Amino acid sequence: MLKELLTPQNANVFIGKLGDILVKAVDAPLGYAINWGRLWSLWPVHIETACCSVEFGAASGPRYDVERFGIIEAFGSLRQCDLVVVQGTITRKMAPRLRLVYDQMPEPKYVIAMGACAITGGLYFDSYNVLPGIDGILPVDVYVPGCPPRPETLIQGCMLLQEKIKRMKAR
Amino acid sequence: MTTQLPPGLQLEKVDERIMTLNVGPQHPGSGHMRLIIKVDGDYIVSCDPDPGYVHRGEEKMAEYRNYIVNIPHLERPVIHDSCNVLYPYCLGVEELLGLEVPERAKYLRVIASELNRCVYIQYWLAIYGIFLGHSTMFMWPAGDRELLIDLLEKITGARVTHAYFVPGGIRNDVPANFEDMCLKRVNYFEKRIKEYAAIFYDNPILISRTQGAGVLSREDAIRLGTTGSTLRASGVDFDLRKKEPYDAYGELDVHSNVLKDGDSYARSKIPWLDMLESCNIIRQALQKMPKSGSVRVKLKPNPKGGNDEVYKRVESGRGSLGCYIVSRSQPEPYRLKLSVGSFRNLICMPYLLKGEKLGNMPAVYWSLNYWPVEADR
Repeated sequence: MLKELLTPQNANVFIGKLGDILVKAVDAPLGYAINWGRLWSLWPVHIETACCSVEFGAASGPRYDVERFGIIEAFGSLRQCDLVVVQGTITRKMAPRLRLVYDQMPEPKYVIAMGACAITGGLYFDSYNVLPGIDGILPVDVYVPGCPPRPETLIQGCMLLQEKIKRMKAR
Repeated sequence: MTTQLPPGLQLEKVDERIMTLNVGPQHPGSGHMRLIIKVDGDYIVSCDPDPGYVHRGEEKMAEYRNYIVNIPHLERPVIHDSCNVLYPYCLGVEELLGLEVPERAKYLRVIASELNRCVYIQYWLAIYGIFLGHSTMFMWPAGDRELLIDLLEKITGARVTHAYFVPGGIRNDVPANFEDMCLKRVNYFEKRIKEYAAIFYDNPILISRTQGAGVLSREDAIRLGTTGSTLRASGVDFDLRKKEPYDAYGELDVHSNVLKDGDSYARSKIPWLDMLESCNIIRQALQKMPKSGSVRVKLKPNPKGGNDEVYKRVESGRGSLGCYIVSRSQPEPYRLKLSVGSFRNLICMPYLLKGEKLGNMPAVYWSLNYWPVEADR
């Protein structure tokens, strides 16, 4: 039976099928491993956009210590980062810069919208210089509400993002 | 890959020797603002600050909100110093509406504003420490400020955005055991911040990095209109708590800290001395405070001011903070202008950075006690 199938004419098809099976067998566990590696070493970009950066700073402080959950303090260059925490209001002057920062980061990258201003404009919904939420310029993964969110809320948002990454298809 | 750069982001080429550097808005050594620095080798030839990344139109928005609705969004420029930001606004509206603040509320305002000043300075100190590469100086103040944040949370109900001051007093009275709790925490806090001297201010590495960096002479400080810790580090004794006492400050013994050097080291030391002074003021205020009584004048719904204008200023964590309100017999202010300390201190940045080494940039930048969100409003 196998000998009949493995004729030189069929070999290409057969190897292709075998490849498919191998990919399916390896892809899921490997993808899980890749995602597992990613979710415990998220590097946020050091870009502050408004006053929520105070609570972002407090979350890196000794009491809340977001590093316990694998979110490293916002240091380093853009090329090593994979997380943008949009810390508050995005004005018309800041919006192109934020998009530029996002474009310069390598894939895969995740976005957390922190605070009411980043979600809908918040208190500044009717201001002439403020974007009504960042959905228009960035694909947001997790919304963290509050004005400003408490550090616990931000940490919960980060943990939700980790849950999401765990279930994502690894790219 | 070529990315289309938005207008204002392109950098001009000046000279073969001189290179233009973009510091911010995304930069590990800057906040939400941008410095366009021209360097010749390691030395800064010129510096052009570019603020306005957080301009949210607070002043315009205040014109179509009534006096009470204005409270929460006028504290947003500096959320970690929210009591002091609201202070001049409340004083101004009280004068417009002709309100007399109860005696107990005056003292509680002083206590809340001094606690908030400590919280603000601790955050600033943490940031100053981390940008000079001193990780312990980030951890210590960031941890110790939570102590006072807890206390303020017990009084006001919110971690940073208190909205505690309202025209006519304060929003609610303090809890029953407030005085013991406050005294205990302030005493412990004072003990803790005295330890910072050994690790930070007497540290030879910090002294060698900041002493003599960005010297601002007394004449220049006055000419450029700086305020707060920048002014007092240059040897000018100007503290509004002492010069123009508002609320209960007139009855308290306030000492203003002055240093003569005018360099980054002096500018970073003044806020720390201010925190020690704040602890003294809180202890005095707790002693002299009336033990009971009303804390708030009842307001009519939608109060209207007369045909009047008023300017009030207070000493905030960053220096003099003024609020100018024009009223045209409407429930909303006709014009509201905030005159903030951060923006005034920003002005001296081109003068201070000229001729400095590039490595001194963070030491000078952060020593100015500058908070971009407040400067942009």
